[in-house]
Amino acid sequence: MNLPHPGLPSFDYIRAQTLEQVVDLLLKHPTDVRLFMGGTDILVQMRDGLLEPKTLVDVKHLPGMTTIEFDPDVGLRLGAATSMNAVAQHQAVVENYPLLAEAANTVASYQLRNRATVGGNLCNASPAADTAPAILVLEASLIAFGPSGERSIPAEKFFLGPGESAFNQGELLTRIDIPLLPKGCHGRYLKLGRNAGGDLALVGVAVLGYPDETVDSDYRFRVALASVAPTPIRALKAEEILAGKSITDETLQQASDAAMDAAEPIDDVRASARYRKAMVRALTRRALSEVWAMLREEN
Amino acid sequence: MDAVSKSHVFPSPIGESVTRVDALEKVTGEAKFTDDLQFGAGLLYGQVVRSPHPHAIIKRVDVSRALALPGVRAAVTGEDSDDHIGLYLKDRYIFCRDRVRFVGDPVAGVIAVSESIADEACRLVEVEYEVLEPVLDPLQGVQEGAPLLHPDLGEYVVADFIDPKPGTNIANHFKVRKGDVEAAWSKCDVIVECDFRVPHVQHVPLETHVAVARVDQTGKIILWSSSQSPFAQRNLIAEALNMSQSDIRVIAPYVGGGFGSKAGVSVEGTAVVMARKVPGHPVKMRLTREEEFYCAFVRQGLIARTKVGAKSDGEILAMKTEYYWDAGAYTEYGVNITRASGYSSTGPYRIPNVHADSYCVYTNHPVGGPMRGFGMPEIHWGIEQIMDMVADELGMDKVAFRLKNCLRGGDKNVTGMTMHPIGLAECIEKASKAINWGEKAPASAPHKRRGKGLAIMWKAPAMPPNAGSSAWVRFNEDATVSLGIGGQEIGQGSFTVATQMAAATLGVPLDWIHISAPVDTKYSPYEWQTVASRLTWSMGNAIVQAAEDARRQILDIVAAYWDEDPNDLDVKDGQVISFKSENAIPLKDMVVYGLPLPDDQGWHGGPIIGHGNFMPTYITSLDNETGQGQRAVVHYTTGCQAVDLEVDTETGQIHLLRVASAFDVGKAINPDQVRAQMEGGVVQGASTAILECLQLKDGVPQNPSFTDYRIATSVDIPDEIIPIIVEVPQDDGPWGARGVGEHPMVPTAPAIANAVAAALGVRILEMPMTPEKVFLAIQEKLGEA
Repeated sequence: MNLPHPGLPSFDYIRAQTLEQVVDLLLKHPTDVRLFMGGTDILVQMRDGLLEPKTLVDVKHLPGMTTIEFDPDVGLRLGAATSMNAVAQHQAVVENYPLLAEAANTVASYQLRNRATVGGNLCNASPAADTAPAILVLEASLIAFGPSGERSIPAEKFFLGPGESAFNQGELLTRIDIPLLPKGCHGRYLKLGRNAGGDLALVGVAVLGYPDETVDSDYRFRVALASVAPTPIRALKAEEILAGKSITDETLQQASDAAMDAAEPIDDVRASARYRKAMVRALTRRALSEVWAMLREEN
Repeated sequence: MDAVSKSHVFPSPIGESVTRVDALEKVTGEAKFTDDLQFGAGLLYGQVVRSPHPHAIIKRVDVSRALALPGVRAAVTGEDSDDHIGLYLKDRYIFCRDRVRFVGDPVAGVIAVSESIADEACRLVEVEYEVLEPVLDPLQGVQEGAPLLHPDLGEYVVADFIDPKPGTNIANHFKVRKGDVEAAWSKCDVIVECDFRVPHVQHVPLETHVAVARVDQTGKIILWSSSQSPFAQRNLIAEALNMSQSDIRVIAPYVGGGFGSKAGVSVEGTAVVMARKVPGHPVKMRLTREEEFYCAFVRQGLIARTKVGAKSDGEILAMKTEYYWDAGAYTEYGVNITRASGYSSTGPYRIPNVHADSYCVYTNHPVGGPMRGFGMPEIHWGIEQIMDMVADELGMDKVAFRLKNCLRGGDKNVTGMTMHPIGLAECIEKASKAINWGEKAPASAPHKRRGKGLAIMWKAPAMPPNAGSSAWVRFNEDATVSLGIGGQEIGQGSFTVATQMAAATLGVPLDWIHISAPVDTKYSPYEWQTVASRLTWSMGNAIVQAAEDARRQILDIVAAYWDEDPNDLDVKDGQVISFKSENAIPLKDMVVYGLPLPDDQGWHGGPIIGHGNFMPTYITSLDNETGQGQRAVVHYTTGCQAVDLEVDTETGQIHLLRVASAFDVGKAINPDQVRAQMEGGVVQGASTAILECLQLKDGVPQNPSFTDYRIATSVDIPDEIIPIIVEVPQDDGPWGARGVGEHPMVPTAPAIANAVAAALGVRILEMPMTPEKVFLAIQEKLGEA
């Protein structure tokens, strides 16, 4: 048993000056150095004795780390250290990527969202990260800077396991690039917590739908799930069903069943696997119905 | 308008929602809490080594490596615990001597120059344990051959109304045998039997426990603590350390939330024992939130087996109850919760035949202690659900069923006490009407179900028969008043109510009254404890008496000065007036310096100080075998809550639309504060009903932080809370008042459960009604159908 009187251990703090310096530090001290942005996760874990880095390297002040840029021809470029509140309230995000704003707004509490960053939320690679399903259905790319310069990692390839991401040694996240979205799309992120606010997701479901005449149903849907598998996942079977035949209540239900089947949750203090699976179906169904209603209204 | 006639319109502050007297201090940050106090460079920090095992023998404790760490000043072990401590049953050492009984039990303590060094030193203390089989369930604990937690139970000092069973894990067994239950069943047309469970929950006060102790060079102790019971702490620590009460001084600043967790002694004892090792140095102990979950009091768990029978016309004939309290490692306080639940086991119903057994069972779980409601929220969870089930079986409306059977003034209750006048029926009528009882209302969506439910309750202050209060009032030169009380302001508004009572009795403006705070056992008048919703009533009586004493002195002095009869005089708006002569004199002219006698004959009077006390003198004991007696308690506060809610059948989430909360408070001294208690009770009650549960696995809390111990926040509260004040006066209450601090959380959970049952036809028998539990119950019902 961990004695219940934790405390923050002593550590060195370095405010990074350049990306190259960060890469250098990461390469030289792979186990002792941790990157630091909002600190809302890492400081808590350090206080609880779960992490004991010797050095925290603060990267949120590096150029571009808190920049939000929208180019109508390219899409959204989001600095990795952008706070949840900054994302949720940015006009370009609210207008063009409301799903991302909605997801960012469900993270913890308002006070936490002032500190917590979108990049940090993703880099933790927690299966429960609220922005992860949004990033997956928006088909974003995560831009890593490392020893050999910049590379782009598709969101669907980024999450490898609980706390494990696709970064190579010496890499850090600098940006999240979100492409322009398909015309006429609508999205929802539905999150189930134990109480109405501030909780971690027991289940999170993101749905993005848009007209697409190249498929049988004339509509494409992307569905992603949080907190019900070792990583945030896309429910690809559900997406296939929705593309494959005309959208009816029955199709929506079949897709929701398929989403449930894609979930492999665990039992823990927060909920049972059985409940989580059932909630994937219920929330997917609800999100699909809402998105479908919005799509139908326009077309 | 002249001065005299103006004073006649001076309004009494009683029954007025005056602004809280501590509001400005608290919103500006001026109010001092224990952790705000500064102790200078000599301050040391205490930290405690705690047992990782639920049950073990301590073979060896070695603090030598901890002592060698630079910055460590001293260490303590069980050897430094002189004697047992405990409120009703002295069953624990401050630091364990031979055995640990729960995960978190204090084994050793270190005192260091900083908290972090103390933490580090704790890790250097070596403890060797011989692990014992634990008791993790009260039903296991009562079985013959179960591991014994307290083999010395028979040796412990115990209050005479507590009945421990040495050689078992039963720390108290309370019985009611009234009428003939077995004979009554055959006369019943409907009998319902059901078990209910309540898990451990925690008080989670905003301010965690904190105490600073200093022992001076002569051995006297000063303790600064966030405390609901400065005097009880002084007394218990004195007894545990074989000291005189006058050699211990407890100073108790504002408390950032108590709910019972800061009653009695917990962390304070460890601070005192550690401070004795470093005379001259104050030693600070403060619990982290995690420690709060492990080591502070929890609300006891409960398994309730209940059977109720009624005739077809709705009359309840018999009730049989067995309560198994999961009381934890030490039951020094919990034994009286067991007793209170026994003598309240019928709920506020008139039932001629009663058979009740309430067992306080030692388990290797966190220590059960007092929490808002003192057993009543736990037992009403079952009582109020089974009453609904009986009404269902009878096909009777639940409001009508309760109105038919609820206690009224003059009825004999479960222990044979004649009930004083109560407004319970009025509460039932008003609360049910407030949610349009009987009218069907549609749910807001096809996948939602709407339901209404209600629950009634009673609760008496559970305390020793002779728990007393005292107060003094002291006039200052300008006729402002220092009001001395020993009751604590724990957020419930006691200082405001005390101020209103003193001002009303003395006849001075409200803002002339200043509470002499913080409560300091060296200067403040005695108060048993700030618990049991007893201050407005008990301390209020003492304040009124003290103020009347001062007022009498004032009138005598002025009457002599004017050569009038004191009965013709009064104090209004800060001046003494005569109805007869229409003379008037401001209080400031006489309350300290007295008044000259006529013709230069000298002076009369002197600084005015009034004192008063109150102690109930009419409580009698209960028969050990039958639980019957003349008057077991001072009074019962009663009430009713009615809930209108809807349930999302796809997720199991409960949404509270309206909660009406009606309580008979005798007299609302400050109506807004009464309403705030009702609102707070509903929110805390709903929080325990839907969210809260300290998950214990092999005695180890699995969710000891707010990440996974969820409590209701502002987004979770009902859309509407409708507080309703009912006033049927208490004969010995000030202005007829009785307490209402705890009561509004008592019926909330069963009222919600009853509304859920009405909405879904599904009954949840174990708290909390999490979305998951509700959803799975719906699935189970669908599966059956």
